[in-house]
Amino acid sequence: MYLLQPHKHTRRAFLKRAGQLAFTGAALPTAINLAALGEAAAFNAGNDYKALVCVFLYGGSDYANTLIPADAASYAAYQTIRGTTGSTLQNGIALGRTPETINGVNLPGINSSLLTPLANGEPLSALTGQAAGLQYAMHPSMGGLQSLFNSGQAAVLLNCGPLVVPLTKANYNSGNRTLYPVPPKLFSHNDQQSIWQSSSPEGSTIGWGGNIGDLALNSNISNGGNSLFTCISVTGNAVFLSGDTALSYQVGRNGAVKINAVGSPYSFPTVGSAINQLISPTGRSHLLEREYSIVTKRAVDAEGAITSAIAPFPSTDAPFSTFPTNNSLSDQLRMVARLIAARNTLKTKRQVFMVSIGGFDSHDNLMSDHARNMDRVSSAMKAFHDAMVNLQIADKVTAFTATDFGRTLSSNGDGSDHGWGSHQFIVGGAVNGGKFYGYAPPVSVSSTSAAQDQFHVGQGRLLPTTSVDQYAATLATWFGVENSDLSGAGSILPFLNNFGGSLGSLNYAKDLGFMKAP
Amino acid sequence: MQEIDTPLHDKPAQLAHTEHSSYAPHALTLLASALLAACGGGGGDGPPGGGGGNDLPSAPGFNNFPKASTDNEAARFLLQAQFAATPTDVSTVRAGTYASYLQQEFAKPISTAWAWLEQQGYGADATLDKYVYNNAIADMAVWRDLLSAPDVLRKRVALALSEFFVVSHSSMEIDWRGHAMAAYWDILNQHAFGSFRTLLEAITLNPAMGYFLNTRGNQKENASTGRLPDENYAREVMQLFTIGLYELNLDGSIKKDANNKNLETYDSDDVSQLARVFTGYDFDPTYSPSSPNGLQFPGQGYKVWAREYARRPMTLNASRHSTLAASFLTTNIAANTDGTAALKTALDTLFNHPNVGPFFGRQMIQRLVTSNPSPAYVARVASAFNNNGAGVRGDLKAVWTAILLDDEARGAASLTDTDFGKLREPILRFAQWSRSFSGKSEFGTWKLFDLSDTSSSLGQSPLRSPSVFNFFRPGYVPPALGITAPEFQLVNETTVGGYLNYMQSVIQQGINTSKKELAVVDFQSPYTPDFVANYDSLIALITNTGTTTISNAEPIARAILTQLNTLMCAGQLKDASLTLMINALRDGMVARQIKASSSASQRRETVCAAILMILACPDYLIQK
Repeated sequence: MYLLQPHKHTRRAFLKRAGQLAFTGAALPTAINLAALGEAAAFNAGNDYKALVCVFLYGGSDYANTLIPADAASYAAYQTIRGTTGSTLQNGIALGRTPETINGVNLPGINSSLLTPLANGEPLSALTGQAAGLQYAMHPSMGGLQSLFNSGQAAVLLNCGPLVVPLTKANYNSGNRTLYPVPPKLFSHNDQQSIWQSSSPEGSTIGWGGNIGDLALNSNISNGGNSLFTCISVTGNAVFLSGDTALSYQVGRNGAVKINAVGSPYSFPTVGSAINQLISPTGRSHLLEREYSIVTKRAVDAEGAITSAIAPFPSTDAPFSTFPTNNSLSDQLRMVARLIAARNTLKTKRQVFMVSIGGFDSHDNLMSDHARNMDRVSSAMKAFHDAMVNLQIADKVTAFTATDFGRTLSSNGDGSDHGWGSHQFIVGGAVNGGKFYGYAPPVSVSSTSAAQDQFHVGQGRLLPTTSVDQYAATLATWFGVENSDLSGAGSILPFLNNFGGSLGSLNYAKDLGFMKAP
Repeated sequence: MQEIDTPLHDKPAQLAHTEHSSYAPHALTLLASALLAACGGGGGDGPPGGGGGNDLPSAPGFNNFPKASTDNEAARFLLQAQFAATPTDVSTVRAGTYASYLQQEFAKPISTAWAWLEQQGYGADATLDKYVYNNAIADMAVWRDLLSAPDVLRKRVALALSEFFVVSHSSMEIDWRGHAMAAYWDILNQHAFGSFRTLLEAITLNPAMGYFLNTRGNQKENASTGRLPDENYAREVMQLFTIGLYELNLDGSIKKDANNKNLETYDSDDVSQLARVFTGYDFDPTYSPSSPNGLQFPGQGYKVWAREYARRPMTLNASRHSTLAASFLTTNIAANTDGTAALKTALDTLFNHPNVGPFFGRQMIQRLVTSNPSPAYVARVASAFNNNGAGVRGDLKAVWTAILLDDEARGAASLTDTDFGKLREPILRFAQWSRSFSGKSEFGTWKLFDLSDTSSSLGQSPLRSPSVFNFFRPGYVPPALGITAPEFQLVNETTVGGYLNYMQSVIQQGINTSKKELAVVDFQSPYTPDFVANYDSLIALITNTGTTTISNAEPIARAILTQLNTLMCAGQLKDASLTLMINALRDGMVARQIKASSSASQRRETVCAAILMILACPDYLIQK
């Protein structure tokens, strides 16, 4: 019953569920025939707007130097495992408590970046499911997110990763993959990226962001908008935003690219007209030619609407002008902010965005690279949230992080290796912020039968205590997705029904509670 | 698990086990005889001895179309085997067989990027350190190779290899990084017609790869601190460079267990143990900053590496090499095995795994010919990898020959399949345009840099993949398409326009570069056009017609586009597309009264308009 069945999570399964078998996969849904989806979009909201923004950290972000265990006992364990800070002799990758310079990078020390939950008793320990006097600091370069957390605008989800069912380490080690299935191809970058985004390894074509978009299409159509603008990527092609019918529409960091060749290239309007016909998919039988022409035609058709809608919100005007520079993620989030600012022109009511930043595969140079990367993430997400506040839409926009996997807690000298569970951030005015969700893993790398060794699968690779499906379900529920669409055969989150109970002292709730009521 | 015999330590290129396949052994023998006649045997890297290719025999599925009977057939072959199909090359192909053309290419000497960097003075200046931290000089050297090197089959397959054995500029933060990337590119070229096993070892110990996938500086475990070996190279050398994730049949299909589940090739423990083999390596200390060879530039308070390190294999420091036993796949390396011997055993094990032929072969077919090769095609190529007919495994010449002379690549049947072929990746489109029209750097300075920008450029640039997973994955399935089409991972609403807008500009004006007459790399004004294409032969088709009417513009437009159809598309434009283009160009010429007496810029614009229509047309973009 627990077997991974990615083929169940397909376009066909969705269409069957939605009673839309007239749509065949080969029909290549377009904005025009999406209206036929009818009431599959079950958003009951009034005139409000909502957006989800996935911030994907490619390469697998190092969890232990993102959120540093800061209470005395945990920090001591962390420092023992990760080596003496900054010492070449010891090859340490532990962050210090006080200011230091490592490889030319000045770090303020974690004592200046402690997280202060709004309520006592957090975070909960994975050992007991109860408060245990634990404390975390953010990486010292993450001042922006730290301030958002401490002011209640951001939440932390501890040790989240792909799971099929709740697992103890004994379950994992049993090797019984019928009773205790695990996600395929753990520790592999491309596959775990795909699994985070779509529940299936590389080659998957349907992501949960896109599936959420499927249900939102009608909201935008009935509002007079173009359903194509439901799922927008400002980064490269990724499966996350591809739905059963929803398409992942791509815009550049500075907007949609106008194709000049369909105009009057070299002052030959007849040639521009011919190119406009050549790129039409009509009559094309070769599958690859047809696919290329579909994308090109879509680009030509959609560009004008995007360009004119965001024109009143130039990057040089507040609040967009204050986004940090030399930061690709910031550039992308600024574009998302401008598109959200233009929502009334675009007539969009529900949107799912994706942005990304790479460089997290810190096998080497963890101390310098991670500091730079987390600074970019933190400053960009802070600027984005500030822009949403400025636009008075912050309580309708939720940004959240994801990554291939966490990394080992063990050091390989000056970095860490591929892992599994990782810590994530959720930012926005609708977030029950200033709080930790999930469970704090014990700081341990040894493989004994002792209790503290039961939450990693070797070298401190975290065995997730919260699944990506739970994470996604919580976000989707806030967004307006009905429970009936979240779980069950052919649903958005194929494994969500395996959760909802408890295992040992830990709860695996379908709604983690980090979002306010929709 | 698969059976792997004990590797043969003295003859790594020899077959270590009996072939699983019964596929056309006679064909392989014949293939080998032809190849060996040309290369002197053994799949070595030495220059071929010449001759022998003209009578390469056929076999089921292979070389049943040995000669091009039309210019379009010759062009089709050339556009798979290299970057362009110039009239000269078309004539050469038609004068012999496809096999003889390959033999000529196998025989061409190598030009190296490193030598060009030195020739341009990017290494020798002892007073300037500006090239120590400069990636752009490697962009220039590689673009120069792709756009102008005479050993063009070698460059084409080296590009394919660079998308399999990926190293990227994207995080290359080492001294002489441009030289290091050039040296990596040179290694791919040097071994492109040699042995896969030799190539595998060369890239493993290459400094750029060592930095990119962290073998450089990788240390053995330390029980007291808990430090463990870095696992990155151990994982990726299996997942990406040799065997992949799943046990494969010869035809590339995945082997299943009794429950119809995919059989996995390795698990996490295999990775951790293999990682021990790759400990102890670092850049050659002979050239380190603290060595007598270390360089100190005037005015600098520190030393840098001597650039020679960037092309020397990494060296083993035994004191940092793991002495633990390493057990992975079916191989056991005993504790305290010498590091060099352990590396040899590990690479032999991977090289001799039955997956390599279909895993590598299928991806090379995807790069050169088609995204969805038939299982039989994969099996034929994998068989050639496994055994070139003379008992040599991993002879890359046999692989290229098997791919390019296969009936699916050469026969007309595949031309009518609606899923045959592949999207030409942007680098190929650009190189094809440049080589088709003699585009080259006027002063030979080749100031062509990173063209990766998606909104305003190609969206792809050689050796600039965003990660070790290449620009696109062999298993990428565009969501709405539903079949494998790797290059489509680069296709979206931004890149389709970024590419076309860029090409619209450069095909007319060339590429603006800074101080094109000087070797020095800088970004100073003024920028002036370089790489200006030569369209003289097409412009010459525009004759004086008196008043330009539809009836006298039509044959001119037809002549231009007919030539372009062969040159750029191997005649694969559909009739309707060609007619549409001819009519548009004809009508445009009439509207602007284009004729021989028109201004040079007007006539040039006319040709550019024709080329732009080709570059935008899906008939062209999908190479069949």
